[in-house]
Amino acid sequence: MRIGIIYTFFVLILTCTSSLTAQISPGDLAEVHSHLEGISNCTKCHTLGAKVTNEKCLECHQEVKSRLMLKKGYHFSPKIRGKECVSCHSDHHGRKFEIVRFNPDKFDHNQTGYILAGAHSKKACKDCHKAENIANIKIREKKFTYLGLTRRCLTCHADYHQQTLPSTCSDCHSNVSFKPATKFDHSATNFPLTGSHQTVGCADCHTVTSKNEVRFQEFANIPHQNCTECHTDVHQNKFGQMCRDCHTTASFNSIMGMSDFNHSRTGFPLENKHAELTCSSCHKRHLTDPLKHEKCTDCHADYHSGEFLKEGVVQSCSYCHSTKGFAGSSYTIERHNEGTFQLKGAHLATPCFVCHKKEEKWSFREIGMNCVDCHNNIHDPFISEKYYPESDCRNCHQETRWASINFDHSVTEFVLSGAHTTQTCRSCHFKNDQNGVEYQVFSELSSHCTSCHQDIHYKQFDLDGKTDCLRCHAGNLWEIPGFDHNKTAFKLEGKHEGLACTKCHKHVRAGESSYLLYKIGETRCEYCH
Amino acid sequence: MSFGHKFYIFVLVIIVLFTLIVLSYFGFSYYSLPLEERFFHNAYKDLKPGGFWGHGLGILGTLCIIIGVLLYITRKRLRVLSRFGLLKHWLEFHIFLCTLGPILILFHTSFKFGGLVAVSFWSMVAVFLSGVIGRFIYIQIPHTIEGREMSLNEVQEMKTNIGTVLTESYSLDNESLNLIIESTKKKVERYHDNFFVRFVQNFIKDQRTIRQVRSVVGRNNLSRSEQKHLLHLIRHEITLNRKIERLVMMQNLFKYWHVAHLPFAFVMLVIMLIHVTVTIVLGYRWIF
Repeated sequence: MRIGIIYTFFVLILTCTSSLTAQISPGDLAEVHSHLEGISNCTKCHTLGAKVTNEKCLECHQEVKSRLMLKKGYHFSPKIRGKECVSCHSDHHGRKFEIVRFNPDKFDHNQTGYILAGAHSKKACKDCHKAENIANIKIREKKFTYLGLTRRCLTCHADYHQQTLPSTCSDCHSNVSFKPATKFDHSATNFPLTGSHQTVGCADCHTVTSKNEVRFQEFANIPHQNCTECHTDVHQNKFGQMCRDCHTTASFNSIMGMSDFNHSRTGFPLENKHAELTCSSCHKRHLTDPLKHEKCTDCHADYHSGEFLKEGVVQSCSYCHSTKGFAGSSYTIERHNEGTFQLKGAHLATPCFVCHKKEEKWSFREIGMNCVDCHNNIHDPFISEKYYPESDCRNCHQETRWASINFDHSVTEFVLSGAHTTQTCRSCHFKNDQNGVEYQVFSELSSHCTSCHQDIHYKQFDLDGKTDCLRCHAGNLWEIPGFDHNKTAFKLEGKHEGLACTKCHKHVRAGESSYLLYKIGETRCEYCH
Repeated sequence: MSFGHKFYIFVLVIIVLFTLIVLSYFGFSYYSLPLEERFFHNAYKDLKPGGFWGHGLGILGTLCIIIGVLLYITRKRLRVLSRFGLLKHWLEFHIFLCTLGPILILFHTSFKFGGLVAVSFWSMVAVFLSGVIGRFIYIQIPHTIEGREMSLNEVQEMKTNIGTVLTESYSLDNESLNLIIESTKKKVERYHDNFFVRFVQNFIKDQRTIRQVRSVVGRNNLSRSEQKHLLHLIRHEITLNRKIERLVMMQNLFKYWHVAHLPFAFVMLVIMLIHVTVTIVLGYRWIF
């Protein structure tokens, strides 16, 4: 028994002296805690009577403590908050024990307060949690930590905008992709994108350049007060800088506010009829399409079909026309008389269309210089051409008055004399047929009296089948100056001398009319008495 | 051994085996992990040494050992308790508790043997193994029914007059009778110096003798129960011969065994107390 007791103490002393200092520990501490090995360090983690308290852990792990005090981070998440540290981070399981066993595939990053979404969810932990992204030097120097990052995008991402824009990247960019900045609302800027600006590529306005030897795209301080900051002023400042007074952003060609548009500021002031036109009358496609306007024919069709070409070029319409209307030419008689056909007499009062619009369309060239080119030659073929060569009416008629005839009748076979000289041409040369239809007779008009005059004597004085009135009548009064009844077969003597003619020469009925019978053929008294 | 006692022993063995199997079955996936991985096992909180089950096993195992040791020692040392049951039965209960206890302690440690408490654990293992050896030595030394060691003379007196028994009870031919009597006689043999070699050699010889006896018995017209009883008798005689042979040596060994068994038990208990104290001081109080 005694030997047994001695042996027991021997074993106890041996074990206590050789290993007591370390052997109370239930196992080796993990590598990161290995400096806490030893019996003197137990209470650095363990609280007497209270196991391992969070306070003890946090005495060393100040980074976590500060996060907890700030009520931030994974350890303050509802899932973790209130737990004992040792429930997740145990120890005394050997040097190789992973106090933090981190499974990136299972870790719920949302619990950290920073929700991984979009492209972030596809990133490896070390893409963000690396020393170069940690600002705090103490944390950065740790071999293994997921602390030290802030929620600011620029913690991990380079500032592409090089401090030209606020650092709140998420105001514009989504976490799916840096490009495009889907959350950016251009309408919230001082320059809302409207119309075609919405389809313009960003780089068209926000040019890509280089800054600090890095690719850089300017987004801030882009001048935008005037359109010409980006657009070329095709009007060369004729209309000022307020492009929006006329143009819309829908298209440069989309014009608005035209009621106020002062066309006079263009090279083509709108006057008279032009002012009444709608824009699209001339600007067929786009108001802003370049429009030739030097010549009228740039817009208007050449009505005259090239009649006024000069050296192959259409002359200005304004020579005759004005913007007050195509009709109503400003071409004056004076200018007409400067031409080859001077207007005189009745021509001065003749409307233009009488000569220049013989058909449906006006015509100003090759319309003829002769009267018959305009006037109807009613005398053809009734008057021999020898009396008006080349059908020149002016041989008889006057331009001043058509009815005023200036024809020398003496050149004809029938010289006018006596009462004939006071007659109108029409008196002899125009007749009516039985139906009352007028017809003219010139060449075929006989010189016999009865061609014009009625033989009221019913051929009593015919001589060789012709009645020559002038054998008896003469003078304007149709007098019978040379008749001597005594030269007849019945001389007037006695009482017969004073008798009226009708006492002896009675009316004879001839159809519905009657005539005086001059050639009685009887000389016997009883014929009358 | 009565049937009731056999059943009692059977139940104790079953409890130990059941405990071992249940703990192994439910804890295998956890205990088979490397130390560094166990923390991440779902059963860590329950099966870790400080867990609900782990800590409970430790406390229960400790109580088993303390109760098993104290009861047996008290019964053995205090004369006033000598009338409370046979010492042999107390020893069996001591073996039961001190087998079950280490098993529970083993699972309490979660097979992690380090630190000061490992000394206690290995002491426990030493006590357990020495207990197994002690039990073997104990069996080799015949005891009285009260558990007292018999002297050599007392043992020799236990030997049966095998010739008389065989003649009176069994009708054997002379050749068989002589051979069986010869086999049960203690022989003067040349022994090997090494105990273990000698033990094995004797075991082989005895087995050969038993086979010879069995074949001899088979030649005679004995009933099956007579054959069984006869063989049991022969075995007992041969075993007794060996025990008589080894008695002095076993008695010496048993003295030395105490020197090994008890100190390890003391070391185990002292360090266990330190371990328990430290855990309580650090706040690990199980359900209390």
